[in-house]
Amino acid sequence: MDGRLLPLSIGCAAAVLSALGVALARRPMHGALFLLLHSLSIAALFLCLSADFVAMGQVTVYSGAIVVLFLFVVLLLPDGGRERRAGPQRFVVALVGGAVTFVAMFAAMYVAIRSGAEPAADDSMFAVAALARTLFGAQLIPFELTGVLLLVAIVGGVSLWHRQGAERKR
Amino acid sequence: MIALVQAGALSGAQSGITAAAPLVLLTSACLFAIGVTGLLLRRNPMAVLMSIELMLNAGNLLLVLGARVNGRIDGHAAALLVLVVSAAEAVVGLALALVLFRDRPDADVDSRGEVAG
Repeated sequence: MDGRLLPLSIGCAAAVLSALGVALARRPMHGALFLLLHSLSIAALFLCLSADFVAMGQVTVYSGAIVVLFLFVVLLLPDGGRERRAGPQRFVVALVGGAVTFVAMFAAMYVAIRSGAEPAADDSMFAVAALARTLFGAQLIPFELTGVLLLVAIVGGVSLWHRQGAERKR
Repeated sequence: MIALVQAGALSGAQSGITAAAPLVLLTSACLFAIGVTGLLLRRNPMAVLMSIELMLNAGNLLLVLGARVNGRIDGHAAALLVLVVSAAEAVVGLALALVLFRDRPDADVDSRGEVAG
C-alpha cells in the first residue's frame, strides 16, 4: 500500500483542483471539461483504494455517459449558457456555506479518526466475485430498484421536454 | 488539520491504508465543501448540477474509503448504487436545465421559472 501513497496524493490534488475548476469556471463548456478531469481523477483514487470495479464503473458511467450528456446539453444551449456575474453578497454567502460545511464534515471525520481505525483489509477480499455476491445477494432489492429509478428518470426527462414543447406549439 | 494527519500517522504505524485514510478523508471533505460553495455561488443551472455531481463524488469516495478501511465490500456496492442515482439525477436535472434555458439565454435558478405545470 505504501507504494500507492504517491499516486493517491496526486489523485487527491487533481480531484480538488479540478473540482475548483468546476465550481468557478465561467463557461459551462470549461466546467464540463473540468468535470471530466475530476471524474477521471476520482476513478484513479478508486483504483488506489483497490476498488477496481467501481473505478471501471466510474469511468464508463461517469466519464463516458454523464459528462458526455453534460457536454451535449452545453452544446445545445443558446450562447453556450452564459451567466450573470455573481455579486459580492452572493460570493460571501457561498464562501460561508462552503466553510461551514467543511468544518462540520471535518469535525465528524476527526472524531471518526480519533476513535481508532480498524485494521486494514487485504486486497483479495475486494474481488469482483465478492462484489457480485453482495449486489445479487444482500443488496438485491436496492440493486433491482435502480433499474426502476433509471426508467423513471428517462420517462421524466422525456415527458418534461415533451410537455413544454407541446405547450409552446399551441 | 495537523492533528488529523498526526492521528493518521499514529494509526498508520500499524497498517498501510490508514496512513492514507486522513488524506482521502480531507479530500472528500474539501470536494463536498467545494460542491456546496458552487451550489450557492452559481446561477447557471448547468453549473449548479455540476456542483451537485461534485458532492455525490465526494460521498462516493468516502464510501469506497470506508470499505477499504473496514474491510467490507458493501461500501463498493453502495458506491455503485450512488453512481446509478447520480446518472438518474443528471438526466432529470439536465432536462430541467434545458427547459429553463429554452426561453431565456441567461437562465437563473433563482428567478421565477415557468417549468411548473
